[in-house]
Amino acid sequence: MTLADRIESYRATLEEWLRGLYHGMITHPAYEKIEKEAEDAEDAFLLACFPDAFGIPSPVSYYTAELLPYIEDEFEAWERRLWDRDSYMERKGQQYHF
Amino acid sequence: MEPFVFVGGKGGVGKTTVSCAYGVKCANAGVDTLVVSTDPAHSVSDVFDQQFGDVPESVAGVDNLDALEIDPEEEVTAHLDDIRRRLSDQVSAAMVNEINQQLEMAHQTPGAYESALFDRFVDVMRNSDPYDRVVFDTAPTGSTLRLLALPEFMEGWVNRLMHKREQSIDLFEKAAIGNAEPRRVMDGDPVLERLQERKEFFEYAGGALRNDAAFFLVLNPDTLSLNETERAIADLEGEDLGVRGLVANKLAPSPDEDENGRGARYLRDRVETERERVERVRETFDPPLVAEIEFRTREVQGDLLEDVAGELDVEVRAEPPTFV
Repeated sequence: MTLADRIESYRATLEEWLRGLYHGMITHPAYEKIEKEAEDAEDAFLLACFPDAFGIPSPVSYYTAELLPYIEDEFEAWERRLWDRDSYMERKGQQYHF
Repeated sequence: MEPFVFVGGKGGVGKTTVSCAYGVKCANAGVDTLVVSTDPAHSVSDVFDQQFGDVPESVAGVDNLDALEIDPEEEVTAHLDDIRRRLSDQVSAAMVNEINQQLEMAHQTPGAYESALFDRFVDVMRNSDPYDRVVFDTAPTGSTLRLLALPEFMEGWVNRLMHKREQSIDLFEKAAIGNAEPRRVMDGDPVLERLQERKEFFEYAGGALRNDAAFFLVLNPDTLSLNETERAIADLEGEDLGVRGLVANKLAPSPDEDENGRGARYLRDRVETERERVERVRETFDPPLVAEIEFRTREVQGDLLEDVAGELDVEVRAEPPTFV
C-alpha cells in the first residue's frame, strides 16, 4: 500500500464520518423537525375535520366523514399522537435540538 | 321567473298547500313541473292523495306534474352505507372498527338530517333537466334558513381544510430525506380530490340558490306568524337570498251582510282584525303580497287545489337555469 493509497483511504473514512456526523447532527434533526411540523399541521387538519371527536358539534363532520376511507394512516397516527402528547409546550420543545 | 321556487314559512301555515297549488298552476300552463317535499311529515302525498317516494312520479290527473318526497332519514343511511362500502375496500380490518365509531357519530349529529336533505336538494337542482320548474316545499323556517346558509359556511370551511391539507403534505414532502418516499404525496391525493369535489358542490349550490331560485314565504294572519315572517325576510336577505313574495293563507271568510247571528258576529270581528294584519303586511313588509287565500271548509285537495292555484298571482313561465 503506497502512501497515496493510505492517504486516500484515510480521507474516505474521514469523509464518511464527517458526512455521518453532519447527517446525524444537522440534517436529520432538521428533517425531523419538518416532519414534526408536518404532523402538527396534519393534527390541525384532522381537528378541523372532526371537531365532534372533542365534543364540539359541527355540521362539517357529516361531510368530512367522506374522507375517512382515505385517511386511515393519518387517523391512526393522530390518535396515537393525541394519547402520547403530554403538552403542546413539550411537543414543541422536542423539536429543538441544542 | 327563476326555475327553482322555494316555499317556506312557519310550521302549519300551509306551505304544502301553496307549493302544490303553485305546482298545479305551472303544470296547467304547460310548464313541466316537479314538486319536491322535504318535510318529514310528507303531506304532499296527502294533498294529491297518492303515495310518492324517492324517485319522481307523475301525479295522477294532472298533466306535466311530477312529485317527489325526500326522506332525510333514508338519505342519511344511504350516505353512511356508501362510506362504509368504500371503507371496507380501503381500510385494514384493524382500523375499520376505530373509524366506524367516528363514522357513526358523524351521522348522529343534529346537523346530519339537514346535510342529507341539502345534498338531495342540490342533487335535484343539478339534475333538473327534464323539468322547467322545480317547486320545493321546505321544512319549517328555522331549519330551512340554516340549510340555505350552509353553502357559504361550508365553502369557507372546505377551503380551510384544503389549505391545511396542502400545508401538511408539502411539509411531509420536504421532510423526505434523499430518496426516501415521503409519507404523503400531493399528486393524486385522494383527500384533496374529495375536498375539491365538495368545494365544487357547494359553489354550485350557493350559485344556484342566489341566481336561479325564488323564495316565497307563506304566513297566516296572526301575530306570531307575522313576526316570524318578518324575521325570516331579514334573515334571507342577510344570506343574499331575496324573498320574491308573500302568501297570506287561512284568511277567515266574511259573512253575508244580512247575517247577524253569533257566528256571523264572530266572523265579522275576526275578518276585521285579520284585515288590519294583512294591511300591516302590505305596508311594512318589503316583498309584495302575491295571494290572499281564504280558509276552506275542508282539506285542500283535488278541485279545491285548482281553486287555490287560481288565487296565486305568481308568474308561471320558467327561465332555464343560468348557473351551471
